[in-house]
Amino acid sequence: MPKAGDAMTEGKLVRWYKQPGDPVKRGEAIAEIETDKVNLDLEAEEDGTLGAHAAKEGDMVAVGNVLARILKEGEKDDAPKAEPKPEPKPEAKPEPKPEAKPEPKAESEEPLQRRATDRKESVKHTTGEYQEAIEQRGPRRDRSAPEAPDAAETPQGESGDRKRSSPLARRMAREMGVNIESVQGSGPRGRVVAADIKNAGSQPAPAATSAPQAKTAKAPAPAPLAAAPALETKIIPLSAMRRTIAKRLSESTGPIPHFYLTADYDVTNLISVRQQLIEISGVKVSLNDFIIRAIALALRHHPAVNASWGDDAITQHGEVHVGVAVATGDGLITPVIRNADTKTVPDIATEVRALADKAKNRRLKPDEYQGSTFTISNLGAWGIEEFTAIINPPNAAILAIGTAEPRAVVDGNRQIVVRDRMKVTMSCDHRIVDGALGADFLKTLRQYIEQPLRLVV
Amino acid sequence: MAEKSYRDAIREAMMEEMDRDEKVLILGEDIGVYEGTFRITAGMLKKYGPKRIIDTPIAEAGMIGTAVGMAMFGLRPIVEMMTMNFSIVAADQIVNHAAKVRYFSGGQVDVPVVVRGPQGAGVQLSAQHSQSLESFYGHFPGMHVVAPATPADAKGLLKTAIRGKDPVLFLESAALYGMKGEVPDDPDFTVPFGKSRVAREGKDVTVVSYSRMLQLSLQVAEKLSQDEGIECEVIDLRSLRPLDMDPVYASVAKTHRAVVVQEQWKPYGAAAEISASITEAMFDELDAPVARVTGEDVPMPYARNLELLATPHGPEIIHAIKKVMYANG
Repeated sequence: MPKAGDAMTEGKLVRWYKQPGDPVKRGEAIAEIETDKVNLDLEAEEDGTLGAHAAKEGDMVAVGNVLARILKEGEKDDAPKAEPKPEPKPEAKPEPKPEAKPEPKAESEEPLQRRATDRKESVKHTTGEYQEAIEQRGPRRDRSAPEAPDAAETPQGESGDRKRSSPLARRMAREMGVNIESVQGSGPRGRVVAADIKNAGSQPAPAATSAPQAKTAKAPAPAPLAAAPALETKIIPLSAMRRTIAKRLSESTGPIPHFYLTADYDVTNLISVRQQLIEISGVKVSLNDFIIRAIALALRHHPAVNASWGDDAITQHGEVHVGVAVATGDGLITPVIRNADTKTVPDIATEVRALADKAKNRRLKPDEYQGSTFTISNLGAWGIEEFTAIINPPNAAILAIGTAEPRAVVDGNRQIVVRDRMKVTMSCDHRIVDGALGADFLKTLRQYIEQPLRLVV
Repeated sequence: MAEKSYRDAIREAMMEEMDRDEKVLILGEDIGVYEGTFRITAGMLKKYGPKRIIDTPIAEAGMIGTAVGMAMFGLRPIVEMMTMNFSIVAADQIVNHAAKVRYFSGGQVDVPVVVRGPQGAGVQLSAQHSQSLESFYGHFPGMHVVAPATPADAKGLLKTAIRGKDPVLFLESAALYGMKGEVPDDPDFTVPFGKSRVAREGKDVTVVSYSRMLQLSLQVAEKLSQDEGIECEVIDLRSLRPLDMDPVYASVAKTHRAVVVQEQWKPYGAAAEISASITEAMFDELDAPVARVTGEDVPMPYARNLELLATPHGPEIIHAIKKVMYANG
């Protein structure tokens, strides 16, 4: 394993291009290697014949360890063979349950024995043994480890960049008029499957961008924002780079490496819409209730923010549950507005009120304060202009909301005007959310907050 | 209806047919005086006498050759193999005579012979006695291959075999002999060949099997339904030749995914034929490659723990089901 960078201590053998016995030429690519930064080809240093693979595809190999030897003519390979990767330990002991073990006496009922004096039926083969078969967990049989690629799924010699799709997905795409090339596949090796087409088909086609835009717009015209896309639960295995980001950032700032992004939103329109909604609905909605809905919809545009860190994978949640930090007499709790993206602002307002009352009376049930996928903390009522909040694990981020107040700002015509403004600061878990992603999220959120009609379309 | 064992259902089918038709007789090793290695012919010598319950020497080629001759001249012989594995000794009589005489005779001579006996693993009979021969015999045109999974099917299919005019390889599962189930009492109850059965309805994934693996598939289906809300549609093929794929196709049209479970080895097995047929007929309906769950590609070990490891397990079937559902995470 070559050292491809100062910090590199190990690399992953991604794929063998050459098999043992294949002739190789100096400079020819033998294998693909993944470091924590890049993927690169391992090139032969000499002409010769490739010896046995000392590492399997997917193995992590320490720098300097042998991957394979290049043999001169007549040279024999004495390099160690690739060791099979240790299988994950089974949860249960592999031996069958004691009560399912055949009695030693059952041997005398062995059906082929011709001269048994005891003619009673050999009935040891009842359905009881299927239970044994069902519960049996031989370690060799447990092939559910995600890193163990299924041989049948990775035929050799197939090119890696072809768009893969299931026959049903292709038929559905034809019938639904979905362009399969633009659909992200969730199946093995990126295969587009029926569920992907269903998701793609339920989203409206991207809004046409050719509509002429008014050049005289006072504020910069935001890019058209399609309706918030549907979500699904996804497990994204950690790449080498993602692991390194997580490890290095954790080392520097503790278990959750925080970083902070602040944005200053214009809430003049939002305040006006809020007044109108109070008059129409009769519900005393707050700016915070609008913000909850805005966040929920923005999360659907950025599922990577609606996520949780795990040791082996990042889980992107298929639903949006917004936790709302509520101060109680002696502390803080975060009741959860479940599926906030599917609720109207008045409904959110009513639910927040009810949950906050329960929180203050310590009457919240666990399912009312657990399971959030994103949290907000609003100190606007205390007149705090801006602050940073600590992430509520296992969320990937928390949004700290400051007070909304009139301020002098420079408008698009370089004039000083008075507008209602509100500052928010997002604390992000850098293992999951990088700066650009967080900034993108805040940009989407800006569109929902500054153009509040988007919250109802 | 009464609850009977798979073993008793087979015994009852033969006795009812012997009562019904005096041309029906049984040949086999130790079936008369000894009353059968698996006790299937218990009491029959006493009831039907040595002309119809014929104890033979240990000479399978001779037994089946004799039966083929009897059948050609109008009798309806049943040959009991102590295990179906011994029929390999007589494979030439089965494959080249029983299955071909009608063809050779231009349709003039039928060969209504039933070769029946236990096969398969699960009862520690070691490598040469634990094989499953359905794909071996299913390969040849000219005969039926039947593999019942329940006592009722064992009875109904065996009666169809005895009454028919074709050679039938009737493959009983040794591990199912003790299994009990409801069996119709009607002496004219039969189950036709070539009619697959939906053993359990479901919407998420189609599981196709037969014989003992059908029972394991059903147990897995119940477990998945209870634990994870996955609803498997389980199809019992009943006969491998003729093979009735229509219910399988109808099910795949609904679920878009299929798992085939067999006990025998994977290469050239029944599951290969079944999954290839699904792909040929239902290609545009499939959302995932058809998965096969099979025994390990080794001679069957004698040791109990190794035998269990070499035959398909619940977790393996569950893994395959989740794989075709893209639910393995």
